[in-house]
Amino acid sequence: MKKIISTIALALMLAAAPAVSAQSRDALRINEVMVVNENSLVDEYGNPGAWIELFNSNFAPLEISKVFITNDPANPTLYPIPLGDVNTKVPKRQHVVFFTDGEPNKGTFHTNFTLIPGQDNWIGIYDADGKTLIDEVTVPASLLHGQSWARTADGNGEWAVRTGGDHDYITPSSANVIRDTNSKIQMFADRDENGFGMTLMAMCIVFSALLLLCLSFYAIGKIGGAISRMNKWRSHGVTREEARETAIADHDSGEEIAAIAMALYEHLNAHDAENTVLTINKVKRAYSPWSSKIYGLREVPNHTHAK
Amino acid sequence: MSFGDFIYNNLVQFWQLTGFANAEFGNFVMLAVGLFFIWLAIKKNFEPMLLVPIGFGILIGNIPFNAAAGLEIGIYEEGSVLNILYNGVAAGWYPPLIFLGIGAMTDFSALIANPKLMLIGAAAQFGIFGAYMVALAIGFTPDQAGAIAIIGGADGPTAIFLSSKLAPNLMGAIAVSAYSYMALVPVIQPPLMRLFTTKKERLIKMKPARAVSQNEKIIFPIVGMLLTCFVVPSGIPLLGMLFFGNLLRECGVTTRLAKTASNALTDIVTILLGMTVGASTQASQFLTPQTIFIFFLGFMAFVIASSSGVLFVKLFNLILPKEKKINPLIGNAGVSAVPMSARISNNLGLEYDPSNYLLMHAMGPNVAGVIGSAVAAGVLLGFLA
Repeated sequence: MKKIISTIALALMLAAAPAVSAQSRDALRINEVMVVNENSLVDEYGNPGAWIELFNSNFAPLEISKVFITNDPANPTLYPIPLGDVNTKVPKRQHVVFFTDGEPNKGTFHTNFTLIPGQDNWIGIYDADGKTLIDEVTVPASLLHGQSWARTADGNGEWAVRTGGDHDYITPSSANVIRDTNSKIQMFADRDENGFGMTLMAMCIVFSALLLLCLSFYAIGKIGGAISRMNKWRSHGVTREEARETAIADHDSGEEIAAIAMALYEHLNAHDAENTVLTINKVKRAYSPWSSKIYGLREVPNHTHAK
Repeated sequence: MSFGDFIYNNLVQFWQLTGFANAEFGNFVMLAVGLFFIWLAIKKNFEPMLLVPIGFGILIGNIPFNAAAGLEIGIYEEGSVLNILYNGVAAGWYPPLIFLGIGAMTDFSALIANPKLMLIGAAAQFGIFGAYMVALAIGFTPDQAGAIAIIGGADGPTAIFLSSKLAPNLMGAIAVSAYSYMALVPVIQPPLMRLFTTKKERLIKMKPARAVSQNEKIIFPIVGMLLTCFVVPSGIPLLGMLFFGNLLRECGVTTRLAKTASNALTDIVTILLGMTVGASTQASQFLTPQTIFIFFLGFMAFVIASSSGVLFVKLFNLILPKEKKINPLIGNAGVSAVPMSARISNNLGLEYDPSNYLLMHAMGPNVAGVIGSAVAAGVLLGFLA
């Protein structure tokens, strides 16, 4: 029976392994798209062109080779991101841009399809199996020259048009929301100048956590005590009612336990009279060829006697 | 170039690389501080396990050298050996390993036998947040104030862990301050304990704690980890390792692992942590007005934490029945300086009644203080990171 359970558990774990691996690629997101780019981002050859920005929303690096990018729902494996390029390992919470110029011979980050201005462009990314859709977006036909279609927050949030204005940045290869301050710290600096709010909240949390632990251990102590009592009654061969009548002690006092322990110690470690015991221990020396006597002695030549 | 010029030029170049040519006044001040720490540890026996590595680390970190030469020797120079060792501090993975060792060497029986003592450990955390308010008033930003205030938890690894996340530039000063005050617990706490207690209160005798079963000891780290980490997930690195270490100790089937965690591993990490924290106090980074404020705030935090623990026990006694009253001398042990503060409770108790042994009772709030300060650090991390 145990073997069967172990086998099932192992099988479940093995079955879960690919799921875990896929889960991390699951966090890949299409983050921003520009369909008509004439004077914005240029590729490594100096050419501006349409681009798709992907975002690794994991808090760990993500290898995106084997993932497919496509603009054709009927052909999910249209552009496989090539293997063997070190740049396909996207750092945590970072971005990578693909130019959709239809010229894959220019490098890993140039897709073999193009986006078409003036019409809705569907874009999808598929997992390595070519079947599991990881993320998709439809870029509206209304997108004008120099505008991008971007998420309002990296990796999630609604999609919106970015015009490149002061509060409407186009951000290839960088975060869609540019923060110049840590909003949490700013909030505490603005709303809790003297720290009273933090003190109140934090002390409540600390007390709650330890109070919870305290109550749990009262309960565990009570349950443990009840179980010990029942075991004790059972060992005495009495029922609960009989135990109440005969008033068997609930538990031994610390003094009793100490006295028993002392007696056992005296019994097991009895010596005649001496307070101190002298012991001669054999000192073990770790073997080393440097300290070996064998190498320090000259070997006596073997004499062979001719018969 | 003649041979003489060749020799002369090279010797001049070598001179420019020596500590003598690059020494500044600040280096000598810090070398004096390092020597003072070593003296305190060896001569006065103040926390020698911490102050010897930190003191010697200060000496190592304050040897002047020509940083422009790019020899990769400074602790802040990427690729240097010291920088590699410092990664455990900067990335915050030494403190959880120390917590693993603390868990493996701590007996939580006193706390399990008398769970209400946990609340003293919670009350003492007021030192952290009292210091937080003072730090804000002085002009520190909330994240810096949080990192400094954790000194009040009296827990070096927690202070290092939190400051590495919230204010890495202040970490050296915070760590040295935290460990210095932990070493000075025997000096700071007794006057406060006397100040806030009456003679009658100091004579309160507490009932001996009940015996705790092995099952309870095994359940404690599991339930403790689940409950505290569900409340404060940002405390997982510290609390998870603390309770994991304790489970290794109590489960009875991992004795070897518990021994390694509580002896060899803790010793190795303590050496590396102490030495690199000491070395991180390079004069140029350390000798700033901020450091003086940090030491002042650290002192404040210790005073508030110790006082609030004692005062909380007095308050608690108002609602406890007469036979269950707690001796307020164990209130100071709510700070997590294990086991120094518990030992102080015991010594002070014996001073007033030679038959009143408070050590085991004080160990309850003491270890609750470890849990409480880790929870408080998690809260600060959750709010401010």
